[in-house]
Amino acid sequence: MDHLAAQKDSETTSEEYLRVLRRRTLILSALPFALLISAFLAVFIGTAGPLGPGVIDQEGHHERISFGDAIDAILNAHGDWPYDYHAVFWDVRIPRVLLAGLVGAALACSGTAMQAVFRNPMADPFIVGVSSGASLGAVVVEVTGLGALVAIGTIMSPVFAFITALVTVLVVYSLGTVRGRVYVDTLLLSGVAVAAFLSALVSFLIYFAHLEYHRIIFWLLGSLAQATWPAVATVALAVGVGSMLIFLFSRDLNALLLGEETAHNLGADPEFLKTLMLVVAAVMTSAAVAFTGVIGFIGLIIPHMMRIAVGADHRILLPSATLAGATFLILADSVARTVISPNALPVGIITALSGGPFFLYLLRRSRTESER
Amino acid sequence: MRFEVRNLSFSFGDKRVLRDISFEAADGEFLGLMGPNGSGKTTLLRCMTHYLQTEENRIFINGKPLQSLTSTDLAKTFAVVPQSSSTDFTFSAHDIVMMGRFPHMSSRLAGYGKVDDAIVRSAMEKTNTWHFAARPFYALSGGERQRVIIARAIAQQPQGLLLDEPTVYLDINGQLEVMDLIKKLNRSEGISVVAVLHDVNLAARYCDRIALLSQGRLEAIASPKEVLTPELIQSVYGVDVVVRKDPFSETVYVVPHSTVSVVPKHGTRVHLLCGGGTGGPIMKALFDAGFVVSVGVLNVLDSDFENANDMHLATVAEVPFAPISDSAHGENLRKIQESSAIVMSPFPVGPGNIRNLEAARTAARSGKAVFILEHDPEKGIDFVGGKADGFIKELISSGAVLVKDVGELLGRLSCGGIK
Repeated sequence: MDHLAAQKDSETTSEEYLRVLRRRTLILSALPFALLISAFLAVFIGTAGPLGPGVIDQEGHHERISFGDAIDAILNAHGDWPYDYHAVFWDVRIPRVLLAGLVGAALACSGTAMQAVFRNPMADPFIVGVSSGASLGAVVVEVTGLGALVAIGTIMSPVFAFITALVTVLVVYSLGTVRGRVYVDTLLLSGVAVAAFLSALVSFLIYFAHLEYHRIIFWLLGSLAQATWPAVATVALAVGVGSMLIFLFSRDLNALLLGEETAHNLGADPEFLKTLMLVVAAVMTSAAVAFTGVIGFIGLIIPHMMRIAVGADHRILLPSATLAGATFLILADSVARTVISPNALPVGIITALSGGPFFLYLLRRSRTESER
Repeated sequence: MRFEVRNLSFSFGDKRVLRDISFEAADGEFLGLMGPNGSGKTTLLRCMTHYLQTEENRIFINGKPLQSLTSTDLAKTFAVVPQSSSTDFTFSAHDIVMMGRFPHMSSRLAGYGKVDDAIVRSAMEKTNTWHFAARPFYALSGGERQRVIIARAIAQQPQGLLLDEPTVYLDINGQLEVMDLIKKLNRSEGISVVAVLHDVNLAARYCDRIALLSQGRLEAIASPKEVLTPELIQSVYGVDVVVRKDPFSETVYVVPHSTVSVVPKHGTRVHLLCGGGTGGPIMKALFDAGFVVSVGVLNVLDSDFENANDMHLATVAEVPFAPISDSAHGENLRKIQESSAIVMSPFPVGPGNIRNLEAARTAARSGKAVFILEHDPEKGIDFVGGKADGFIKELISSGAVLVKDVGELLGRLSCGGIK
């Protein structure tokens, strides 16, 4: 009798566990479709587009092209439209949607990896100083007038931001490293301190240089308005290589979540792992941030959302978070483009507005769970 | 799995933690690492797991130097169980055990297969954790978590198990559960065990041998009986203990107690009549209050005889299971003569030891102060058909004082000017 009960019990466990696994796999396989659908829709959302508020012409008429015309315009360069819709789609809208997807992917993927490396659910991709470093670079370009230089002006800002971001990470990394050993708690505090210092510098520069505030705020809050094909290509390269590298170390990251000693005892190399993850995440986020400015909250909340949905196992969590990050930023940018049409909001406002309350909810939830 | 440590020294910066340690842990052995806090036992274990870098050719596994093996090789050879494991992230118990298959993965791209599933399931069934496989790890109790971690260790299919105080955060039930499990793996699967243990009695009960560390040195390595002696424990831990044989097993157990009295000795003599273990607390209390205590008459092997022996008290003894002889009785009366007061514990009285009551009567009649500790009225002490109860009534009528407990006894002794 007891034996039978035990057997039944263990069968229930198997069933229960298989159900959990099936759910995880289902979510992971649904995410690529969600991404494709939202990307497809996003191309048609906007001031000029069948799903947008439409264009107001010189006589004050509201004009909105139909779906069929939009597809025609995308496929056919020489159509008969009052505006050059072909150029609108191919030079502005499509690179913008692609860049949104890539940047969202970069932030969510590296955010997940950083939370594992720091074993801290509050960590995000900017925790080692990427955002403040990049901001400083971008503001310096504006202040020194380098940004005004014709032709290279648009290139200057991302290049500078990328370099200052990486230099900042390097400084924070060396502050958190003693005799070849990375101490994550020191690293975390160094990141916070350096970020505060650099933010003060940025504020100082903005205050004294009388910058055109509107321009810089777009950068500081993050915007995808600067999307170009070269930007898409650059970020695609960084995200492609970076996320693949991080994926390959999923099992190592799982082990690391139980502590460095346990990771070592399971055959992982925690020192190598921490350094590799920090470098890959830093390059990936720096590349993204260089073109779009600081888009907050994605790297923090998407990993959390996906952890709730598919669990903490990085073999499933990392690809899920990467796909969900891409989807989320594409949707958020669609909102940013249309909510005060024909103008656009910085997308960082949308991500923070939706991310902030969610983050607070998580905070409360984890508190009530630990009170249990 | 065979571990060999040769002349191992280790320092954290300038601080030397291990000094010239050499020993061997044989294949299939259950070796305990013991020592006071800061003696270096956890550091030694971390050197053995290669988490800490030692000089080359100091530690050998199955004859191979530790440095010649990759961390994956090591993880396939032995598994490590830490003091406790926790994570803020929601892994299920099954996820945690599956991590044990990590060192066996052929490549980074390979997924876990059917074989891994079967190994994980059998490991979880062995540790009685399968029924909560789907539950989140953080929601489990300390004992359940430790069993999950041991399941993970089994899933590594190791030849050896290294444990760092695996029961330190567990209650007594969890301690035994985890230790029994480890012992079973050791005995039935031949897995060698090296365990840092802080509980002397757990170590005595489960280890084949104990390595005792003190200030980074290996003080002794031998069987529990040879290592857990009052002398060695006093020299390493600075604590006085009594070492007894566990009545239910072939092992020893250790009872710490201070033999340094809390009050300076004043030399007043008290003789205690006791037996059957009723005298232990009285001896200790009188001793601590500064009295010179003698005990009698006790049969050798009586638990009070062992108590008195452990406290090095003057004892009038009789051979085992024999009634009190004339010579022992005479010796008892002499001790009574030398003492300022006589104390009687509520010991069970049978035909063999009834002469202890006679001795008490003699004392009372000669005007000695006699104190009788009351016995539990539920449990009689008279096994001689009312004779003992009669003796006690007689004693009280000739001036013996009945006291409720040891506290009252000590109070009466000092009020009566005996001290």
